[in-house]
Amino acid sequence: MTGQIEIEAKNLNFYYAGDIHALKQVSLSAYKNNVTSLIGPSGCGKTTLLRCFNRMHDLYPKNRYEGEIIFQGTNILSNDIDIINLRSRIGMVFQKPTPFPMTIFDNIAYGLRLKGIKNRSELSGKVEKAIKDAALWDEVKDKLNVSAYELSGGQQQRLVIARALAVEPEVLLFDEPTSALDPISTAKIEELIVQLKSKVTIIIVTHNMQQAARISDWTGFMMLGELIEFDKTDKIFTAPSEKLTEDYITGRFG
Amino acid sequence: MRRERLRVIQSRIAFVLSTLTALFGIFWLVFIIGDVLIHGIGALNINLFIKDPAPAGVEGGGLRNAFVGHLLITLFATLIGVPVGVLGGTFLAEYARGKRIAQIISILSDIMVSVPAIVVGTFVYAIIVKPLGHFSGWAGAVALAMIMIPVVLRTTEDMLSLVSWTVREAAFALGAPYYKVIIQVVYRGAATGILTGILLSIARVTGEAAPLLFTAFNNSFFSTNMNEPIASLTVSIFQYAMGPYESWHTQAWAASLMITVFILIITILGRLIIKWRYKK
Repeated sequence: MTGQIEIEAKNLNFYYAGDIHALKQVSLSAYKNNVTSLIGPSGCGKTTLLRCFNRMHDLYPKNRYEGEIIFQGTNILSNDIDIINLRSRIGMVFQKPTPFPMTIFDNIAYGLRLKGIKNRSELSGKVEKAIKDAALWDEVKDKLNVSAYELSGGQQQRLVIARALAVEPEVLLFDEPTSALDPISTAKIEELIVQLKSKVTIIIVTHNMQQAARISDWTGFMMLGELIEFDKTDKIFTAPSEKLTEDYITGRFG
Repeated sequence: MRRERLRVIQSRIAFVLSTLTALFGIFWLVFIIGDVLIHGIGALNINLFIKDPAPAGVEGGGLRNAFVGHLLITLFATLIGVPVGVLGGTFLAEYARGKRIAQIISILSDIMVSVPAIVVGTFVYAIIVKPLGHFSGWAGAVALAMIMIPVVLRTTEDMLSLVSWTVREAAFALGAPYYKVIIQVVYRGAATGILTGILLSIARVTGEAAPLLFTAFNNSFFSTNMNEPIASLTVSIFQYAMGPYESWHTQAWAASLMITVFILIITILGRLIIKWRYKK
């Protein structure tokens, strides 16, 4: 199951504006076609780490990275990386559903159009495939031209996943994708994530330890900006090597 | 028990007070609009739209020049004011978000909104009319645009700020550059709000007379030349209402009615567009 490393943080340090040291010497590997989950108490830096992988932090001034993130052999933290290209290869799904104010079709086609695909039949084909991959096709096939706002929260989240899948990314980052959803929608998304790993490498931040245990192959436990322990999910949840990890997963704090 | 009764009484008092104040406000509104309607409808006739003013004291004539001039001034004011306002609001909400300069401009433009229109008129008189040596339609359009800009700018800024940051981040995460995020995602999300702001600002300036008095001035003859003084409904109303002739007063009423109707149409149009967009 180990396989090949898809993306890897090496001695990564991250500072928010004002020199707030949010990530400390984090080294973590995400294996190809595996689900890697990041758990830990609020403010431990798991979302911060996730947002390093697609350089989301670059949107805000004075954020600073140190160390390396190697994605398929290239350090994506170097200055000559084309961030726009990087973000089309490493997709992201957020905590709250983020449909754009346009039709369902246009939402999914958005990333494709950014890539310059204009041909209508090519667009339709890719949009349909993405929606099917996101297990949403049966629910929306008759209303591709209605506003995406008319979908339920769970459907919107799958729409957003479809939108991210449409551009055929190699890695998909999930930032607590189910924390705003009801249990049934959550179950659908979890099922979807497990299905998707045959296509993409997945890194997911979650507050829900059961979720991490259910869907991930690897788990990283973080605290105060440090990666305390990183191992196979089974190992983390049954026999963690660190006392802190054990305290956390048994609910002694956090 | 006593406490419950007290609450019921308090609730009744609040209900009666708010109803009365609402009725008080509505009464004057109906009074004004009704008055304009009664006097205006009686004064309407086809000559108003197809004839230019008759010489002073002579019966008949119309306000064709003022209708056309008014439309021209409003149109050009919109063409100047809307792009500046929308782009300025975009700068404040997007590129300068949270920066000191944005806060300062926002406050200044809030002050600008409440600057009396006549001050704007005299200002434009000083910077355009005086140096050029004559009144002109352009000066009038610029004066109205200056009243529109802060309204459009602030509405745009507010509406763009309402579009949540995660939606922008989601677009960035798909590899969109900032200008595409703004044009394709943020503007769409804020479109109805911005459009409403634009329509309200048009409704606001189209009823102004003071800023036109010092800029476009007036013209008794038909003219579409924006380089010359040009007639407008509001200035004509001002002039005719103050004038000594009964026929002038009647025409002023008719013109008032037409402006009121125009503003009503703009407002309804705005609402229809909002409805239509949400349906889609």
